[in-house]
Amino acid sequence: MSLSEKSDEELGSLLSHYGIKHGPIVDSTRHLYERKLEKAMKQASVKTSSDKTYYREEEEEVTYITYQSAATRKRSANMVKRSTEQHGVEGPDADTEAAVQVTYSSTNHTSVRSGEPTGDKSTGSLWKMILVLLPLAVLSAVCYYAYAYIV
Amino acid sequence: MSTTSQKHRDFVGEPMADKPVTALSGIGETLGKKLEENGFDKAYVVLGQFLLLRKDTEMFTDWLKDSIGANSRQASSCAQCLKEWCDAFL
Repeated sequence: MSLSEKSDEELGSLLSHYGIKHGPIVDSTRHLYERKLEKAMKQASVKTSSDKTYYREEEEEVTYITYQSAATRKRSANMVKRSTEQHGVEGPDADTEAAVQVTYSSTNHTSVRSGEPTGDKSTGSLWKMILVLLPLAVLSAVCYYAYAYIV
Repeated sequence: MSTTSQKHRDFVGEPMADKPVTALSGIGETLGKKLEENGFDKAYVVLGQFLLLRKDTEMFTDWLKDSIGANSRQASSCAQCLKEWCDAFL
């Protein structure tokens, strides 16, 4: 049953079976292909069931962390704005903040989508969207009040 | 582009004709001797092996490591050199 005893054609069909793209099996390539097959056979026997669900949970955890950090940053920035009263600077700051928030939310959205292809946790993703929009609304209200204060 | 050596640029810039194996990027004297011992005495014979492996740089890198004990850097350098030569002249 050793690989070196098999014919070139048998070796070729085995390589195709394991999904290994191969060229002609001649003297110079034979040894390489035998070793590739041995590796593939070992991997096939060792492979366990997939851990996809675990990976998805990890992705979800990552998104939660980024949401919280973005939310805390917004709150601290708002505090700074109220205390310093630098009205002239607030405009561009708000814009950049908004841009940053947009980028945060967009990245979070993509990671959420890749991690949740099934429809089971659609309510969860909806909740996350609300979590994004709510700080955005709060920030826009604060900016409005700040501008009203200037006037 | 990434840092390519002068040797790489010299090889890839013209048809290899009868250049020795040591003209290949990543192949110095030691590896060159080992290749010649295995019957690969000219660069075009090594090209032949590269073509037999369907111009797959990963396969070719594995073959170099397996047959003459090249390390990852040397093998991938040689594979990349041959790949670019093929892209230009084959």
